[in-house]
Amino acid sequence: MKMEAFNDRNVADNGYFLVDIEDYPTDGWGKFKRVVRRSFKGELFVGLWVVLREMIKFDIHTVQYPEEKMPIGPRYRAVHEMKRLWESDAERCIGCGLCEKICISDCIRMDTKIDENSRKEVTEYTINLGRCIFCGYCAEVCPELAITHGGEYEQASEQREHFVDYEYMLTPIDTMKAKAQKEFEGFGAITPHEDERVKKTPLAY
Amino acid sequence: MSKIINFKIDGKDVQAKKGETILQVARKNDLYIPTMCYISKTTPCASCRICSVEVEGVDGFILSCNTPPTEGIEVKINSDKLEVERTNIMKLYDVNHPLECGVCDKSGECDLQNMTLEFNVGNQNFSAKDQLRKVEDWGLINYDPALCIMCEKCVHVCNEVIGDDAIDVKFGGYSSVIIPKNSQTLDCTYCGECIAVCPVGALVSSDFKYTANAWELSRVPSTCAHCSAGCSLEYETRHFGINGEDNIYRVKNNFEYNSLCGAGRFGFDFENRAKKDATAFEGALEALKNANAIRFTSIITNEEVLILQKLKEKLGIKLYNEDARLYADFMKAYSSVSGKLHHSASMDAIKQADAVVIIGTRIATDNPMVRYAIRTASQHNGAKVIYAHPLEDALMKNTATQFIKYEVGTEEGVIALLANELLKNADIDEDAKAFLEELDLGYLEAESNVGDDEIKQMSKSFSRTQNHVLVLGSDLFAHARAKNIAKLAALIEKYTNFSLLIVPNEVNTAGVSLICELDVDEETENVVGYNADGDFVLSSLEEADLAMPALNQVEGTIVNVDNKVLPLNVALAFDGYLLNDLAKAFDIDKEYTVEYTSELPSDKGFKNIAFDSLENFYSPHGDDIRGYLLDEVSCVVEAVIEPVADLPEFNGTVVYNCNPVLQFNKFTNKTKQLEKDTVLRGSAQFAAAAKINDGDEIEIISQNRTIKRKFKLDDELKGTVALNPVFDIGQESSLYRFQKSKIVRVI
Repeated sequence: MKMEAFNDRNVADNGYFLVDIEDYPTDGWGKFKRVVRRSFKGELFVGLWVVLREMIKFDIHTVQYPEEKMPIGPRYRAVHEMKRLWESDAERCIGCGLCEKICISDCIRMDTKIDENSRKEVTEYTINLGRCIFCGYCAEVCPELAITHGGEYEQASEQREHFVDYEYMLTPIDTMKAKAQKEFEGFGAITPHEDERVKKTPLAY
Repeated sequence: MSKIINFKIDGKDVQAKKGETILQVARKNDLYIPTMCYISKTTPCASCRICSVEVEGVDGFILSCNTPPTEGIEVKINSDKLEVERTNIMKLYDVNHPLECGVCDKSGECDLQNMTLEFNVGNQNFSAKDQLRKVEDWGLINYDPALCIMCEKCVHVCNEVIGDDAIDVKFGGYSSVIIPKNSQTLDCTYCGECIAVCPVGALVSSDFKYTANAWELSRVPSTCAHCSAGCSLEYETRHFGINGEDNIYRVKNNFEYNSLCGAGRFGFDFENRAKKDATAFEGALEALKNANAIRFTSIITNEEVLILQKLKEKLGIKLYNEDARLYADFMKAYSSVSGKLHHSASMDAIKQADAVVIIGTRIATDNPMVRYAIRTASQHNGAKVIYAHPLEDALMKNTATQFIKYEVGTEEGVIALLANELLKNADIDEDAKAFLEELDLGYLEAESNVGDDEIKQMSKSFSRTQNHVLVLGSDLFAHARAKNIAKLAALIEKYTNFSLLIVPNEVNTAGVSLICELDVDEETENVVGYNADGDFVLSSLEEADLAMPALNQVEGTIVNVDNKVLPLNVALAFDGYLLNDLAKAFDIDKEYTVEYTSELPSDKGFKNIAFDSLENFYSPHGDDIRGYLLDEVSCVVEAVIEPVADLPEFNGTVVYNCNPVLQFNKFTNKTKQLEKDTVLRGSAQFAAAAKINDGDEIEIISQNRTIKRKFKLDDELKGTVALNPVFDIGQESSLYRFQKSKIVRVI
């Protein structure tokens, strides 16, 4: 269909017509007559027949959720994921605390300490998904692309803790070993050709 | 020669006092010159060269931080050439600086971050071969040489202000690092001032490292609650863990103009967590109704003291606090001669002084801030520091120009000798003249072991000095002749150019002594103890019948050694009952404790200022805008100075009740980071006299109590006086700090 058809506001010339609607009954007798007429006309069975016909044909057009799921866009912002480094399989999160600070619904909490190798270690990390508004600021601010959004949008479980656990969000080590970790393409992701734009420090030696 | 120098900075007419540098004048006039290594309280490090300025008619750049202006010069602080120079310096600072801002503790408050952004360093055209630099663990302090920018602030502060002189620069061009001076590992008093001044994350607190970020912490400006210096500090709090309540993560201070000792910096976790316990509260009310007396310590706010005084008036009970009572008596004796309620000097006066005499206090551990002030005076003004004490103190060794050792207990004689020397040419009244003429100098010198030559030497070293301060301390308050000592000190203050600083024992000894009328402590029944012994104990320490908040959990004020009324703020919430809740039950009715701040007695110099109007900060130019100074109150001069009594002799084994560095009381003993060394330290001579050996378990039996300790031989000590820490058991303030004691080995 061309756009002109939509843009043409002149309704009179395009086959539009007024529906002939009979007047509403005003007195009791008129209303009674309308009820009797509608009840015995058999209009009801028109709709029932459409459903029955489609059922018999087994030609179903709706998505069979939860067996079937629609593919979602790569930028969809659902439950967070914690990514690992491709090089070492180690966790990317360095515990800088920027996600905690930027979170506008104040749902991220973390605790860090110095570990035995004098590195900063995240000891506890939770996201209260009951408060999270999935704005994506945490993923955008993350300097290490560690916290990202994922495609997991189903938030029903017997245990609230299932969703707020660091382990739950972290890419499983098996997935990592199989090189199957998916990078997030949405908010906060590296733009294409980032490598070419990075300025390097001169190293004369 | 005129003392005012007129010149121009960027076309603006400015004036400098003699001795001021271009940078100081610029800052005073709100003209911005960037700096990296400059710190106001030390001499210029002159290592960064960012403060370079141009002077008309002079080739090249001039360092504004250490150059005084001359008459009529025209200084330019901004030009394209300077901009290039400064940007290049910043680029050099950024060479190989680890890009770990994400985890660095300093991130968010880092001078290097700020200046790199200020000069918009977007690319780098210098390079150097990176080196392996190992992170050093120096106990409470952690040093990462890779992050160090060699500004040398830490070295200057350690040497000039603190006096530990424990760190040094190991020069080596690009491989320069900070190293412990003359030692493998850091051997110092752990004041942590180097951490405070470090502009980057090179020197950090080991305990704090990687636990929180600058931007997550809430700052609570308050006053340190450990000793009578009442230093300004900021508690930085944050939730602990992911569900936890708030905790203090670290303490910071305004290092630009003031300092803080390690007890304040590392000993912040002395809070008391408690919930409301109604039965204990009822018990406390019952105990107060039946009480004959309340015994309390001076680790308390003025407002609470006023409540106690009101309770005393209401219930007709007595108030026991030996420490403050003896201090009050000492001050009363002082006032009766000087005609003033408060002593005249302050720590700032010491910093300005060029002659300081210290008697009757082991000042480096009794009040570290006074020590820092003396060190500052000695380094910046070349002050003559006369340290008189029965024991030599290693911490004062590099500051004191003369050590006068006197015999234990002869303080009165020493002060009399001092008065005799200093008042020689003064125009004094008849009574004083008579007193001096009566002195048996030979006897005093012989008994106190202070030679005529020592006094003469001191006197001689004062020949060119102008600002004198006499510092007296806690050995004297419980001395048998305390009152006469106070009168003699007042005499010196009155008739010479000496100002007087009397250092109280505890954080608010001065406040307690001013606000309430104290009774002589005697063993009675039904005593309610507040942080002290009693039949019913209200306490912010363990073993309390009713839990009370510690001083980092209350609002209130204290009076410090400078006679300043300083505000304390709530760093951590306290959920239990307060003293005010108890008072309310007795119809001493104010909703909040701080409503008493404006009611503190005005006849003692307190002002009618509400707590919420008290400020607590240093201005950008370094003016101390904290609390207020007690008003000067004049008193009646009435006292007659008594003749010096026979000087006592302390023979045999003597134990000196004196805390180690960074420990003051049971609250500092409660903290996690501070070292708790409770051994009795003595010399080989002491060990021989007591017939004990290094490492022996011993019992110290003195007048009132028996203490179990381990004995440690200390090579730095001499004589038969041993040092016994009391921070874990509490100072017996009613007794002279030197006690003849029997030492028994426990088998």
